[in-house]
Amino acid sequence: MIKDTQTAAGITNLRLKFPGNDALLFKGLSLSVQKGEKVLLLGPSGCGKSTLLQVLSGLIPRSVEVPMKCDDAVIPVRPGFIFQDPDTQFCMPYADEELAFVFENLHVKPNDMPAKIRHYLNEVGLHLDDPHTLIQTMSQGMKQRLAIASALAMEPDVLLLDEPTALLDQAGTVQVWDTIKQLASDTTLIIVEHKIDEIADYVDRIVVFSPEGNIIADGHGEEVFVRHKKQLADYGIWYPGVWQDYLEEYGPKETESNSAQKEYYHSEQISIPIIELERFSALRSGDPVIYVDKVSVSPGDWIGIVGKNGAGKSSLLLALMRLLKTEGAYQFEGKQAGKVEQLAEKIAFVFQNPEFQFVTHSVQDEVEYSLLFEPMNAEKRQSKVNAMLEQFDLQSYTDRHPYQLSMGQKRRLSVAASMIRDQAVLLLDEPTFGQDAKNTFAILEKLEELRAQGTAIVMVTHDLEIVNHFCTKVWNIKNGRLSNAVHDTARRNVASSRESRS
Amino acid sequence: MQFMIQHVETWLHRVNPALKLILFTLFFVAVIFIHNPNVLLYVTCGTMLMLFWSGHPWKRVLLYASPFILVFISTSTGMMFFGEGKITWLKYGLIHITQESFYRGLHLGLRALSLAAIGLLFGLTTRPVNLFYSLMQQLKLPPKYAYSFLAAMRMVPILIEEFQTLRHALKIRGTKRQGRFPNIYKTIKRYSIPLLAQSIRRAQRIAVAMEAKGFTNDSKRTYYYRIGYSLVDIWFSVYFVILFVLAYELGAWFPFVGITDVR
Repeated sequence: MIKDTQTAAGITNLRLKFPGNDALLFKGLSLSVQKGEKVLLLGPSGCGKSTLLQVLSGLIPRSVEVPMKCDDAVIPVRPGFIFQDPDTQFCMPYADEELAFVFENLHVKPNDMPAKIRHYLNEVGLHLDDPHTLIQTMSQGMKQRLAIASALAMEPDVLLLDEPTALLDQAGTVQVWDTIKQLASDTTLIIVEHKIDEIADYVDRIVVFSPEGNIIADGHGEEVFVRHKKQLADYGIWYPGVWQDYLEEYGPKETESNSAQKEYYHSEQISIPIIELERFSALRSGDPVIYVDKVSVSPGDWIGIVGKNGAGKSSLLLALMRLLKTEGAYQFEGKQAGKVEQLAEKIAFVFQNPEFQFVTHSVQDEVEYSLLFEPMNAEKRQSKVNAMLEQFDLQSYTDRHPYQLSMGQKRRLSVAASMIRDQAVLLLDEPTFGQDAKNTFAILEKLEELRAQGTAIVMVTHDLEIVNHFCTKVWNIKNGRLSNAVHDTARRNVASSRESRS
Repeated sequence: MQFMIQHVETWLHRVNPALKLILFTLFFVAVIFIHNPNVLLYVTCGTMLMLFWSGHPWKRVLLYASPFILVFISTSTGMMFFGEGKITWLKYGLIHITQESFYRGLHLGLRALSLAAIGLLFGLTTRPVNLFYSLMQQLKLPPKYAYSFLAAMRMVPILIEEFQTLRHALKIRGTKRQGRFPNIYKTIKRYSIPLLAQSIRRAQRIAVAMEAKGFTNDSKRTYYYRIGYSLVDIWFSVYFVILFVLAYELGAWFPFVGITDVR
């Protein structure tokens, strides 16, 4: 059946195993995609979707050597592949040179290249004044569209996309999907993606994989969503309506925490703000990158910092930790804020990439690390570490190397290791970035627990749903300025209206 | 090897990069075989003169050249202070300056300076992309090496950014409080492992991405930039010939010291 001329890509009875793993990733999987079909592959992290995509494109075993066997395979003659990370798919410094690289591979005559480069850039909506633009000055969304342009330049018979928007913000995600939707209707697309809001209606067919790598559903969009909602939620997929379902199911928890929050608002008059900033600015190589008029952070606050890419959100976090040079008034617990080392005892900081903050070789040591310098006996330290590991569901991985954990576990470990000194303030730089729905909710719940205990949380995020449902205040940064207007979120409005009624 | 520093394009930028590389290598060898300080002085002057056409503002050139001035001072003084010779100028403890050692030191310093100037000139007037395209087209360098180098250069700014993040992270985790003497081995390990882990992963991804774009080690590829030879290359070669001829003649007719061989 696979040999018929309508098949664009397909595989029959695929068996594949990663070296070092005992179990087979696929045990006799078959899938075929028709010409012109737009297929979305869904499944939990680690189920092998991305691997399957590489098999269907021929990258496995041609470029990536993985032992595999199959009865029959239809591999596209010219696959176009778009990868997840915008920073690791280019080999040239300038946009035109990157596209030219593809044309060189295809033996296109040099004289024809400039016109072709313009053509493909226009096709993905990159209207650059000069195609000779440095790739590193482009936004992530633009880079990903350039990646689409260079895949299109291959004149592909099938376009394969491996989570193309996982590392993009909302604006970039929209740009990428708009570009994909504008492509000719006879293009064959095979997409692997977690965040499927934008494309759920666009694709013709959705294939869902189980954690064991078996196909459990294969059909039209609506049908799959209705019938397999439970699995999709379990697998952490951002299916349309995931937030409503989450809030419905865990709604009671919300009100519980609201009451905890209320306690804090009641005591607001007497509790002093823990951080106060006034006419505060941070400098990078002499130039101010962020200016804050006047704001404060109190215990039990959960502040979401929002704003465009490059507006200065991350700079503000670094400035609060005094990792950047700062000017203006910064009071911490009523006193002039000290040096980084002093602040680190009271403020925990979680970086966007957890791998950079791991300093030891096991999960246990990692959590224990910051306590080693405190005057504390071994027993007490041990019990504290164990409690922390349990709180963040890491107790079964104590001897594992931090790098060997999954994405979600790494993130949880980074929060656990940072918070071990019971700091009063927690700063986070996009903690849910690139995480699936399940991990995102797990992290948010842990943070909510901390907040309910009185920790002040300041978090940079792109996700407005998180801001609306979890944060108590919003700091909106525009062009490196945080104005006085601090907006309360929907959540706080609900809480305070209840207060006024009672 | 600038990627994005603003500069003016001069005739030196238009010289064929492979030819430039070969001539500069020959220059390097030639300078090592010059033993007459008079000749070397004129050669050095001729090389420094070319920095006028670097296309970069003077302040920047001086900034980049500052380490080389340090090299000049350290190499020459090292040789001057402890050299052997017949005519003693100064003797103070370990320091023993003789006429011979003084000129030998000066000669070594000039050698370092001229090589530094030529290296700087190469870096300031050659785009890496053009260099590798030229090496592939003129010297038949296999594309797999050329594009690997170019891909690696793209990673340098990312690596610098990651180093900065890592430095911040380690500062916050309190690695400084490990005692009074920082353990250098541990510090290196702490920085290198995460950076290497990220880089290896990234290199592998880029390699797969390049192959996905149809890259093979096929030498029959076409080239977006066709780099050939032009009139500028002749001027450039002639400049070097004149430089050496003039330096030898001037060195012989207008010497500034009486010594013709510092060995």
